[in-house]
Amino acid sequence: MAKNLSGDLQVASANRLSDGVVVWLDDAGEWTTRLDRAAIARDGRAGEILLQRGRTEAFSVIDPFLVAVTEEEDGSIEPLSLREKIRASGLTFDAIAADAVRYA
Amino acid sequence: MPDTYFYHYDSYDRTLVSERVEQFRDQVRRRLAGELTEEQFKPLRLTNGLYLQLHAYMLRIAIPYGTLSSRQLRKLAEISRKYDHGYGHFTTRQNLQLNWIRLEDAPDALAALAEVDMHALQTSGNCIRNVTADHFAGAAADEIEDPRIWAEIVRQWSTLHPEFTFLPRKFKIAITGSPNDRAAVRVHDIGLRLWRNDAGEVGFEVIVGGGLGRTPMIGKTLREFLPKNELLAYLEATLRVYNRYGRRDNLYKARIKILVHEVGVDKMRADVEAEYADTRDGLLGLSNETIEAITHQFAPPPLPHRSAIVAEVERQKLEDAAFALWLKSNTAPHRMAGYRIVTASLKPAGAPPGDASAVQMEGVADIADAFSQGELRVSHEQNLIFPHVATEDLPAVYAALGRLGFAEANVGKITDIIACPGLDYCALANARSIPVAQRISNHFSELARQHDIGDLKIKISGCINACGHHHVGHIGILGVDKNGVELYQISLGGDVDFGKTALGTILGPAVTADKVVEAVDALVTTYLDTRAAGERFVDTYRRIGAQPFKERVYATV
Repeated sequence: MAKNLSGDLQVASANRLSDGVVVWLDDAGEWTTRLDRAAIARDGRAGEILLQRGRTEAFSVIDPFLVAVTEEEDGSIEPLSLREKIRASGLTFDAIAADAVRYA
Repeated sequence: MPDTYFYHYDSYDRTLVSERVEQFRDQVRRRLAGELTEEQFKPLRLTNGLYLQLHAYMLRIAIPYGTLSSRQLRKLAEISRKYDHGYGHFTTRQNLQLNWIRLEDAPDALAALAEVDMHALQTSGNCIRNVTADHFAGAAADEIEDPRIWAEIVRQWSTLHPEFTFLPRKFKIAITGSPNDRAAVRVHDIGLRLWRNDAGEVGFEVIVGGGLGRTPMIGKTLREFLPKNELLAYLEATLRVYNRYGRRDNLYKARIKILVHEVGVDKMRADVEAEYADTRDGLLGLSNETIEAITHQFAPPPLPHRSAIVAEVERQKLEDAAFALWLKSNTAPHRMAGYRIVTASLKPAGAPPGDASAVQMEGVADIADAFSQGELRVSHEQNLIFPHVATEDLPAVYAALGRLGFAEANVGKITDIIACPGLDYCALANARSIPVAQRISNHFSELARQHDIGDLKIKISGCINACGHHHVGHIGILGVDKNGVELYQISLGGDVDFGKTALGTILGPAVTADKVVEAVDALVTTYLDTRAAGERFVDTYRRIGAQPFKERVYATV
């Protein structure tokens, strides 16, 4: 069961400049590809600070923004919106492989 | 065999494209070095077809008027393998999108494209976009004239046209040279239809103000008959009027369709003709020499005489039901007896519509070399076409396509679904398209049933921008987001056939993602229960109206 579904929890996300890959800002102020390492802002004010920090660390990323997340009992987090879930988890179907002649 | 039987780049084209590659290489270097901000860089990358989507950059590659050589397709496969994830997505604008390009690789990818006279210019921005054309161009039995000659002339005129680089909004032109409109000319900013008048002259019907998106509209005739050599001057006049009066205050009202709707087609025509009176005797009049020079480049390939009736084909038709269905749905009449136009279906059961792996692209290129003069077309319905296949080669082509997974006998059928990339890829989307298409495709995968259902076009868009053309689907499906839940709005009765172009009508409340297949099944069942002899789905809908469909769908879902 989700520990916090209030929508107050937020993480800062962006796309990496060099390849567009989805990244999150961690506690050390570094951009990471791992959502589980994202720094969590637990209220609106903390969110503003997190976003500001992301913007100051934006040399290697594009347009940081806040993503509303939920937090499970075990501390894992998941974006609330489908769009952000897909950004975090990737395609919701299997893309065809380069050497494939059949869609699996 | 020459490399292509279509336009060859000259030194001017090559210089232009290679200069742009090097300019972009420097722009990327400056961006990565922090010398350009994203705000400064974004319009530069978009000008070169590089978008930022949800997970990565996407490179949209122009395939002018949907015509490709086998050599070009092999290069696309190579680029997809070297710089992307080894597959590409053919789009409703006859382009190819690579979904996982790294910014630092983009200049090299563009340089590789330039090696085969390709680029990504004008695949974004408020300019004249890649001109689209009938995908059977140069081969169709019903063709009056090859529209690619005119698409190429328009391409040359519109490429980096200084006056039309910053239009109020993007501008799409489609051209057909056949009475059977396979280019959807009435739903483009300008549609051009070649036709022959009573005097036997061939000219253009100029259609303006069509479009899909947020405010779908069917284009209106601006000029019933335009002599061909006046095409560019008339287009220039039309674009000038749009550039002058098109709205720039509201993104959603900036397309030419809104201008035509607001002022009326008569006023639009008067303004264009007034502008044209000033420009018609200028530099844009097309000389016969110019037209002939371009026409010469599209000279039909030399096709030797071949028999129209081939015993082996007839035998296989009788023995192999799937082959017989494939002949019926995936081949079309060629202008020359003894040849057929073959469509490779990029819609195998359950696959993302329009996607092809690098290996599949190379396999298609091999088939084109062996059996179709090295030529290919991309259709706006997201399939690939072999324009010139001898009837006697059809079994071999069928077998080769089967090995690639592209021999599904479903062209024009319920699983030949158009779908935009949707929320799985697209930064603008509200809902997913591809998984919905996959579920419908799997549900109706049985070929005999598909052929019993007959011609039925399902078109799916993941947002109101309508890249999946849902407004003109016999069944249109539009994904919307309602409080974080994907819902799908169903419309019926859309069509792009010439003389029957219609926008679909919304059936009723949107359905949830898990009910879309049931809803489509209910629509199909209603049609099967009520159709008269010879009626397609859309014909039955036109005859009996929405109510029986509506009742069945909402009793089901």
